[in-house]
Amino acid sequence: MTTAIALTRSRRRFSDHQVAIALLLPIALINVVGFMLPIFNLARFSFNRATTGGGIENVLTLENWTGLLRDPFYLELILNSIWISLGVTLCALVLSYPIALYLHRSSGTWRTFLTVLVISPLLTSAVVRTYGWIAILSDEGPVVGAIKSVGLTPPPLMFNINGVFIGLTEILMPYMILALMAGFGRLDPKVEEAARTLGATPWQCFRRVILPLTAPGIALGCLLCFVLAVSSFITPKLMGGGRVFLLATEIYDQAIVTLNWPLASTLSILVLIIFGAALVAYSAVLKRLD
Amino acid sequence: MMLERNMTASPSRTAKVAEDHLVLSEVGMTFGTADVIPSLSLAVRRGEMVAFLGPSGCGKTTTLRMIAGLIAPSRGRISVGWRDITRLPVHERDMGLVFQSYALFPHMTVSQNVAFGLEMRGIAKREIRVRVETALEMVQLGHLSDRKPRALSGGQQQRVALARALVVEPSILLLDEPLSNLDAKLRDEMRVQIRSLQQQSGITAVFVTHDQVEALSMCDRIVVMRGGHIEQFGTPGEIYEHPATPFVASFVGRTNRLSGVVEPSGRLAAAGQGLLAEGALPVGQVQIMMRPHRVALLAAHEHVPPGHNALRGRLTGITFVGDLIQANVRVGEDEITVEQPTRRSTALPLMGAEVTVSWEAGDTMVFAGGAT
Repeated sequence: MTTAIALTRSRRRFSDHQVAIALLLPIALINVVGFMLPIFNLARFSFNRATTGGGIENVLTLENWTGLLRDPFYLELILNSIWISLGVTLCALVLSYPIALYLHRSSGTWRTFLTVLVISPLLTSAVVRTYGWIAILSDEGPVVGAIKSVGLTPPPLMFNINGVFIGLTEILMPYMILALMAGFGRLDPKVEEAARTLGATPWQCFRRVILPLTAPGIALGCLLCFVLAVSSFITPKLMGGGRVFLLATEIYDQAIVTLNWPLASTLSILVLIIFGAALVAYSAVLKRLD
Repeated sequence: MMLERNMTASPSRTAKVAEDHLVLSEVGMTFGTADVIPSLSLAVRRGEMVAFLGPSGCGKTTTLRMIAGLIAPSRGRISVGWRDITRLPVHERDMGLVFQSYALFPHMTVSQNVAFGLEMRGIAKREIRVRVETALEMVQLGHLSDRKPRALSGGQQQRVALARALVVEPSILLLDEPLSNLDAKLRDEMRVQIRSLQQQSGITAVFVTHDQVEALSMCDRIVVMRGGHIEQFGTPGEIYEHPATPFVASFVGRTNRLSGVVEPSGRLAAAGQGLLAEGALPVGQVQIMMRPHRVALLAAHEHVPPGHNALRGRLTGITFVGDLIQANVRVGEDEITVEQPTRRSTALPLMGAEVTVSWEAGDTMVFAGGAT
């Protein structure tokens, strides 16, 4: 009896709205302090001037941004990063799609087993997996050996763009597969059967029914992989051998090696702008699909 | 053997040409080690609608999917109009399939759904538009052609599915429990609509259902299936009045079941009382069945007309349901349910009273073997 009264009283003291705010407050605070403020700080640095010896001169200037857009090295680096990320995303999509479709259609223990197999690479750090790829693709590795054994000259696979491409694709595939599967909900085997009985060849069925129905998953997977590829650092750094210049590696070099924090900040904000653009493109695609 | 029996069965109600259209010869299906369908042979005539009726797991849907080409039979031959289609891929079979779950394309509008099959056949855009329009008018959905399927009710979705299957003028229409997801009132409407569309177009149709009412009221002939084999193939009248097996008798319509015996002399008896039946009787333990509404409830010493059976028993339950009286009468070890239309003058007998149940000799169904 008394507890019941106490409960109704406490309910009256805090409205649902107030409870919601109280519950959201901690994470909101952490986000503001740990994420929003640093980003704001970064944005501010990008309008400051770098001085020799790693100093930052607190003036308001656009020279980092204008310099970036006038320097052919940086323009190429930005375009390269975007192109490589798009290419890696496309490769990961093409390689992951059949796997995701197969997983979506399998069931029971077999499905669980395969899903664990797909996720298991995520349990190993990207550093370890990258070193694995270095071992596989190096000049004395099995791939080069196999190509040589059939009498062909292998293309250079390591410490150039090829290695970065292969490594990134494999490392991002689990994310792509999981995102695709999450978006495959609308794919009902009966609908495929309906298309087939109506005279659709397997290819027509794929093109007209399966592909449109899995498009939301494709969009989600591509967004995720593109964002991860643009911001990837370890794999390009290790597998590029210092010869592949991408946004993330350049940010590292500017911040840690050259100590030009304003330029590093400018590049970081640029990455954020690219993310924003990808998100806008994703929303537009989703809107068109509906 | 089955095939021979079909050929001699009474002619279909609608088919003008009683020519075999869809023929299954010794078709079998094995999943792993399980013989889902040991061997199945039947022939569907051109223009008739045949029901595959049976409880779940009897193989009716598997058989339908084999006809559609969605699964390959492990053995046997399927032919349409004498053309062997056993190995033909699904998309070349020219069959219209209507699913229980409708299976409309969720990303296409109603008219795009209906147009799909015509597009796959490479028909000209202008003709497609006309035919889609006609098909949608046929199912009274012309006004919803630009909607997406999810904006439609279940009944409307099923009508779209029907239009989509029929618009391509398939050689055979396959219906896989098309009414099971609809509510009772809609189901009655759709039953009439499907049947009239099938008769108008004169299309050969196979209708898979577990609902005896659908099978009896819509179809020219019924295949009653159980455990992967055919129990009986006949017209609704034959199935109901002359069930071939106890399973058919109890699955189609309701039945009373008595255990009885046929003596070597040919005398049929249940609970020590003699009974009349028509036709040859198997000697030994038998199951005797009759429909509850064909049984009359009489007072203990009331006159039983000649040619009628009479069994004495004790009234153990009686329910007045307005237009019907349902009574349970215990006869020996068995209980008989009686259903009788009420009259104003009907006097209800008392519980526990000695009564007589009576039915025409011709309504007695006798099957060899004891009750299972």
